[in-house]
Amino acid sequence: MPPSSAPDDVLRVEHIAKRFGPVTALRDVNLHLKKGEVLGLLGDNGAGKSTLIKILAGFQKQDSGEMFLHGKPYAPKNVDDARAQGIDTVFQDLALIDELSVYHNLYLRRERLLKPFPLLANRQMKREARTALDEIGINIPRIDVAVARLSGGQRQAIAVARSTVGSDADIILLDEPLAAMGAKEGAQILDLVARLKDEGKVSIIMILHNYVHVLQACDRVSMIQDGAIALDKPTSETSVEELTDIVVNEYRRAREETHKEAARQHTG
Amino acid sequence: MASVAGGSAETPPAAPKGPESSLRAPSVGRQLIGRVTALREGSIIVVTIITAIYFSANTSSFFTGDNFKTLLPYFAPFAILAAGEIFVMILGEIDLSIAGMYLFAPILFYKLNTSLGLGLVPGVIVALLVCMAVGALNGFFVAVVGISSFVATLAMLFAFEGLALIISHGTPVATPGGQPPLDTFGKVFGGGTYSELIWAVVIVVILQVVLTFTRWGLYTVAIGSNKLGAAEAGVKVAFVTIRNFMLCSLTAGLAGIFEAVRSATVQPDPAGPNEYLFLAVAAAVIGGTLLTGGSGTVVGALIGALFLGVLKDGLILQGVNANYLLFYTGLAIFVAMTANVFVGRARRGHGGSG
Repeated sequence: MPPSSAPDDVLRVEHIAKRFGPVTALRDVNLHLKKGEVLGLLGDNGAGKSTLIKILAGFQKQDSGEMFLHGKPYAPKNVDDARAQGIDTVFQDLALIDELSVYHNLYLRRERLLKPFPLLANRQMKREARTALDEIGINIPRIDVAVARLSGGQRQAIAVARSTVGSDADIILLDEPLAAMGAKEGAQILDLVARLKDEGKVSIIMILHNYVHVLQACDRVSMIQDGAIALDKPTSETSVEELTDIVVNEYRRAREETHKEAARQHTG
Repeated sequence: MASVAGGSAETPPAAPKGPESSLRAPSVGRQLIGRVTALREGSIIVVTIITAIYFSANTSSFFTGDNFKTLLPYFAPFAILAAGEIFVMILGEIDLSIAGMYLFAPILFYKLNTSLGLGLVPGVIVALLVCMAVGALNGFFVAVVGISSFVATLAMLFAFEGLALIISHGTPVATPGGQPPLDTFGKVFGGGTYSELIWAVVIVVILQVVLTFTRWGLYTVAIGSNKLGAAEAGVKVAFVTIRNFMLCSLTAGLAGIFEAVRSATVQPDPAGPNEYLFLAVAAAVIGGTLLTGGSGTVVGALIGALFLGVLKDGLILQGVNANYLLFYTGLAIFVAMTANVFVGRARRGHGGSG
């Protein structure tokens, strides 16, 4: 399935494959992201969603296939390089440093420094972090406390904010931003995503599990099955039922295969 | 929206903003105590002061200029050792090979000076560069090869203490530049009464600034707190790890050379350095640095070292049998560490991690 390469694609992924030893994580993934779009990425556990995100983020390298950023070949050397090219990632484990303060976490790897000696400009970072968090509507009582002291929702919000505060990323990758989160906290993160989208500067790829969230927060949905994209539709043209059907069918097929295999082993 | 969740009942740590809190605070004294205990080094400062007061009250010779002349230089070398070790400990690693560097550096310095005819200062510099290369090797084994730092640096410890014995043939030699009458070199590099103390304070101040106010320090804490997270955020974990091991070996070699100059002889005997290794780690831990990584303070190590120095000195002045010294040191570490745990809990509020 070749991707529809519209001129307003900010990111295009063609025939990406990745193996870890005997395990094929990604077989042949084609994906595209339009400017200002929020793309929801769905798929079973182990379908390869996180691997795809890690490749896009520059944290891992694909075995084959190509990526294009604003139409130009994109092959990030590492996370820093990807970030420098405008792709920022919130990993599933959040990559927050518990012992560091909220503002140090926000500015990790893009610290503001003082002029003559390269010392940390803590005051400036604190001030800017406060303004930036206020702007995107994240309410953290104190930004000089260690991140360890924040609630799960606040931590997630900080992790998402990290990709926007002090960064000029135009593509943000969110790996399960709603994992292990209550309804209220989840709603806050989706609000945050909506606000970022409304600002119109960033395009977002987001891994989600809840179909309702996908239909609510995303413009388009891609489903990875078996290391390849099995469905790619605007959310307006699909429904919870259709998405569920695909997954149910997959489970049915998987069960049949397991049965067949078991039968084969019996006879053989 | 999320405002209710965050900290409401906790006491704020000593933050620069404080007009409101000073209105509510009942007295300056209590506020000061609050501030001290809010520091990571708070508990050990209190414990050290209490210990010093105890010895001053019980031993007439403790609080005297003469005693300070013996006490202050005594704790300086393991404060220097601890200052470097802390950068490795915050990573969640440990460097046992500092005892090897401590022993090896002055012997190499002696050889460079006597056999190769290198000048005193160039000799020191080359010896320290070799130490840093060994540190880089430590870091390489830990960060790139993936050997546990305990094992890698234990091997390095044996190897370099052995190497020190081999090249010195196990015979003590006179330290170059350390023979009386001392010239400027001797006075600066450990021979002067307060030379080591001044070096210790300068090194501690510089390294504390590096730890608190530079990216290097920030990344060190980040790696120790969450290695994968730091890597995902783009911190170059291997680079920082290798750099910290190099720093640790450098301070160890420096302390070894100072002590050799001060005592005028290079003693090729691993027993002393091995004891200093453990005193340095003890000083770091007592000062508030966690063995598990992610948190630490260089100033704390200086005070931890001072505490160990005050304790040993005070016990000797009190006429305690020398056989009891190690035993009391052990007890004192338990007491200081227990105090640390409680003060740390109070500081972090309940349920902080790590």
